[in-house]
Amino acid sequence: MGKTLVIQPVTRIEGHAKITIQLNDEGNVDTARVNVIELRGFEKFCLGRPVEDLPRITPRICGVCPWSHHLAAAKACDAVFGVEPPPAGKKLRELCNSVAYMEEHILHFYFLAGADFLLGPDADYSVRNVMGILKAAPDVAARVVRVRHMCAQMLEILAGKAIHPQAAVPGGFSKPLAAADRDQLRKMADEALELAKFSIAFAKENVFPKYLDVVKSLGVITTGFLGTVKEDGALNLYDGKLRLMKTNGTFEDFPYDRYTDFISEHIESWSYLKFPYAKQWGDGFSMDGESGKGVYRANTLARINVCDFIDTPLAQAELLEFREKFGRPAQLTLLYHWARLIELLYNAENAIRLLDDPEITSTETRVKVKARAARGVGCTEAPRGTLIHDYTTDADGLITNVNLIVGTTHNNAPINMSVTQAAKSLIKNGKYDQGVLNTVEMSIRAYDPCLSCATHRLDGKVSVKLDIFDVEGKLMDTLTN
Amino acid sequence: MAARIAAEWFSICGGCEVTILDIGEPLIDVLKQVEIVHMPVLMDHKLFGQTGENAEMEIPAADVGLISGGIRSEEHKQLAQEMRKKCKVLISLGSCACFGGIPALNNLYTTDEIMQKVYRDSVSTESNGLPNEQIPPMTDRVYALHEVVKVDAYLPGCPTTPEMVAGALLALLKGEPLPTLPAKSVCDECPTKREKKSVSTLNRRFEDPEFTPGAPLTEMRCLMEQGFLCLGPATRAGCSGHDGTPRCIRAYMPCEGCFGPLNEKANPMVDMMGALSSIGLDPKQIPDRAATFNRFAGAGRLRPMPRR
Amino acid sequence: MGEAFQPVIIALCCNWCSYAGADLAGVSRIQYPPSIRMVRVMCSGMVHPNLVIEALTKGADGVLMCGCHKGDCHYQEGNLRAEQRAEAIRLMLADFGVEEERFRLEWVSAAEGPRFAQVVQGFTEQVQKLGPSPYKQ
Repeated sequence: MGKTLVIQPVTRIEGHAKITIQLNDEGNVDTARVNVIELRGFEKFCLGRPVEDLPRITPRICGVCPWSHHLAAAKACDAVFGVEPPPAGKKLRELCNSVAYMEEHILHFYFLAGADFLLGPDADYSVRNVMGILKAAPDVAARVVRVRHMCAQMLEILAGKAIHPQAAVPGGFSKPLAAADRDQLRKMADEALELAKFSIAFAKENVFPKYLDVVKSLGVITTGFLGTVKEDGALNLYDGKLRLMKTNGTFEDFPYDRYTDFISEHIESWSYLKFPYAKQWGDGFSMDGESGKGVYRANTLARINVCDFIDTPLAQAELLEFREKFGRPAQLTLLYHWARLIELLYNAENAIRLLDDPEITSTETRVKVKARAARGVGCTEAPRGTLIHDYTTDADGLITNVNLIVGTTHNNAPINMSVTQAAKSLIKNGKYDQGVLNTVEMSIRAYDPCLSCATHRLDGKVSVKLDIFDVEGKLMDTLTN
Repeated sequence: MAARIAAEWFSICGGCEVTILDIGEPLIDVLKQVEIVHMPVLMDHKLFGQTGENAEMEIPAADVGLISGGIRSEEHKQLAQEMRKKCKVLISLGSCACFGGIPALNNLYTTDEIMQKVYRDSVSTESNGLPNEQIPPMTDRVYALHEVVKVDAYLPGCPTTPEMVAGALLALLKGEPLPTLPAKSVCDECPTKREKKSVSTLNRRFEDPEFTPGAPLTEMRCLMEQGFLCLGPATRAGCSGHDGTPRCIRAYMPCEGCFGPLNEKANPMVDMMGALSSIGLDPKQIPDRAATFNRFAGAGRLRPMPRR
Repeated sequence: MGEAFQPVIIALCCNWCSYAGADLAGVSRIQYPPSIRMVRVMCSGMVHPNLVIEALTKGADGVLMCGCHKGDCHYQEGNLRAEQRAEAIRLMLADFGVEEERFRLEWVSAAEGPRFAQVVQGFTEQVQKLGPSPYKQ
C-alpha cells in the first residue's frame, strides 16, 4: 500500500473536515474521502425544549447561516401551531432572508473562495487568502469588507441582532419596521445591488474566462438536483415547494412534509456526516463513477437549475445568458460560483422590491398561537442547500421529536465524488505539491460547504466494556474496545 | 514587528468568526498589523504539513491565540493543548469556549443516548452502521476551554461583539492590559420601564409582549414584569455593543442569557429560580428550567437528568 | 455493619425565633444528635437558595432551614419569602443530583426548645437513612 495523505483541516470553508487520500504503490489515487470530523447533537438536546425556543436554539447550528435555521424553525413552529403569519410578517422574514443571503454570498465569494481565483490556486499559502487580496486589490477588498458589514448592519436594524437572531417568532415577526428605518435600509440595499452587479461583471470578465479549463474539468460529476420553487416555477429562497430533478432534466415537485418519501440518509463508517440520496428514484445509493446512484446536489447551482425562471429582471437576464452557455441542468461543479453570483444579484433586487412594498411597514406582523400536540415541517433554502426542520410536540408545546436535514448534508456524496475525481485526475505517479492539493480542495470550496450545519448531529463510537469476575465475585479483568 | 495570531475552532458554529469580520473597515487596519499564522477559516496553514505527510499535528508559535467552541472530541483536547503550548496569550472567544455554549446542552444526556437518537431513532436515516474509523472519538461531555487548559482572557457572548474583539486585539497590539468584562447584569443596560417587581403568571415566549410599535423602548414595560422569562438579571452585560441597548430587547424579545453568568462561580438557575419565586411566581410553572437558565453555561452546570 | 454514619447538617436558623428556640433547648439540657452545624441568620428570608445548594454540593449531608411561624416574622414577610424559595429549592435539587429529602424548612418559635430538639432528631434520622451526600469527598 502506498502513502496516505491527510489534508487537515480543509481550509477556507465553514466547519471541520479533512481529506484522506490513499495512494497505491504506483503513486496514483486509490481512494479519496472527505471525512467530516465534527459533531454536536442538536436533534437530541432539542428534545424536551419548549418549541418556541427552537428558533432561538437552532440558529446556533451555524453562525454563517443562522437566519436560514431561524426561519426554517419559525416556519416549522407555524406548522406546529397551525397558523399563517400575516403578510407583513412573511415579508419581513423574507427581507431578512435576502439580506442575510447577500452577506453570506459576498463572504463566500470574496473571503473564502476568492483567493483561489484572484491569486491563483498555486500561490504560496501565506498569501492565498483574504489578506493577500487586501494587498493585491486593496480598493476592491475595502469595498467588499464595507458592504458585507453593511448587510450585517441592515439585519441589526431589521431584527436587533444580526447573528443568532430571535425576531422570527411562531406566527410572524416580533419587530415591525419603522418608516425611517425602511428609508435608511433602502439606501443600503442600493449599495448592495451595486456590489452585486459589479461582482458578476467582474467575475465574468476576470475570473471565469481565465479559469474556464479548470471549470470544465475540476471535480466534474453528473447528478440530480434539489431546490425550492414557487407554484409558478420561479426561484424562491424563502418559501415554496421542493423540486427534485434527475440528470436528464425531468423533475418531480412535492410539498415539504413529504420529504421522507423522497429522501433517505445513508451512513458511512468514515464520516460523522450522513449521506442523503433520492430513494424515490428506486436506484439505491452509490458514490462510484461519475454519477453514482441516487445522488443529487443542492445549493446555488441546483437552485439555478431547477427553477424555470427568476422573477427579478437583472438576475433573470443573467440566468438566460448562463443557460445559453451551459444548458439546463448545468453540471460543471465550479459553476456553483457563477450561480452564487446570480443569486447575489437576485437577492439584492428582491430586497429592494420588498422594501418598496408599502406593506413592509405594517404593524401587524404576528398572530397569536396556542400550544398543542402536533407535527410541523418547516423548510427554506439555506445558501448551502435545502434546509428541513421537522418538529413534533406534546400538548404543552414541548418537543418530543426533532429531525433536521441541513443544506450541506445533501451535498455530502457529491463532495466526495468531486474530490475523488479531482484527486484522481491531478495526482499521478506520486507527483503532487501544495498547489495541486489546494486545487483538489477547490473542488470542495465550490460547494460552499457549511459543515457545522451539516453535523448538527452527535455520534461517536460504541464502547464495549467486559468485566470478568472470579467465583468469589472479585473483579479479575476488564476488557474494552 | 507584526504580532502573530493563531486561531482554532472546536465545537463551533462560526458566528464568532463572522463577528470578527463585523469589526468592519477598522479590521483592515488591524490585519495590516498582524500576521495570521494559523486560522482554518481564512487561510491555508495545515496541521500535518502542507502536503499532509507529517505524523504529528503542529501549530506555529504565536503571540495571541484565539479559540472558539467548546471541547467535544479528543482531538479538540489535543489542539487546545498545542495552542496553549504555542501561544503566549490564549483567549476564549465566545460563550462556547467560555462556558460551553449551546452544544453544552448535550451534557443533559449521555453519549449513548445521543448516539441512539441520531443513528437509530432518526425518521429519515437507515440504521446501517455507526461512524467509527478515521474520525476522532468523543469526550464524555462538553468542556469549556478553561476546564482543559489555562486561559488568559474571556470574550463571552453568542456571538461575542465586534467591539469586544476589536478592544481585545487592539489592547494586545499596543501591549496594554485587556479591558475587563463588566460586572453588571443586562438589566443595567436595559432601557425598559420598571414598575413593580411582581410576576404571578408566566407567559410562554410565543406570546406577544405589550409595546407600542414605533415608540421608544423606554416606554415598554420590563419583559420580566410582563411575565416573560427574561434572563437579564442573571446574565452579564455587554451585548449592546455600540448601541447601548441589549440586542434581543431591541427586537422586543426577552434576554436568553447568551453572555453567560455574572461571574465564574454564579449559578444562573439558582439565582433566577430564587428571584422569581420571591416575587410571587410558582416555580412549578417554569417549563424546562435547567436548560432555560443554563442555556449557554452548560459546561460544569448541566448533568444527565435522572430518567423516570 | 457498625453504627449509622453521623451526618453533617447545616442549620440556617433565624435570629429572632428559631435560633432562640435552639438556645432554649440547650439551656434546658434537652438532648439531640450532634449532627447540626448552626449558622445564625437575621431572618429565614435572607437565605439565598445558593447557600443551600452550595452547602449540599460541597458535601453537607443535609440542610435545615428554620424560621418563625407564619405571622410571627420579626420583619413581617421574611418567612413567606423563605417558604416561596424553599419550593424552588426543592425542585432544583434533582437538577444537582441531590435527593429532595436532604433539605427541610421548619418553623420553630423562641419558646419551642423541645420542638427544636425534635426537629433535629427527626431530620437527622431522615438523612441517616439516605446515607452520606453524593458529593462527599
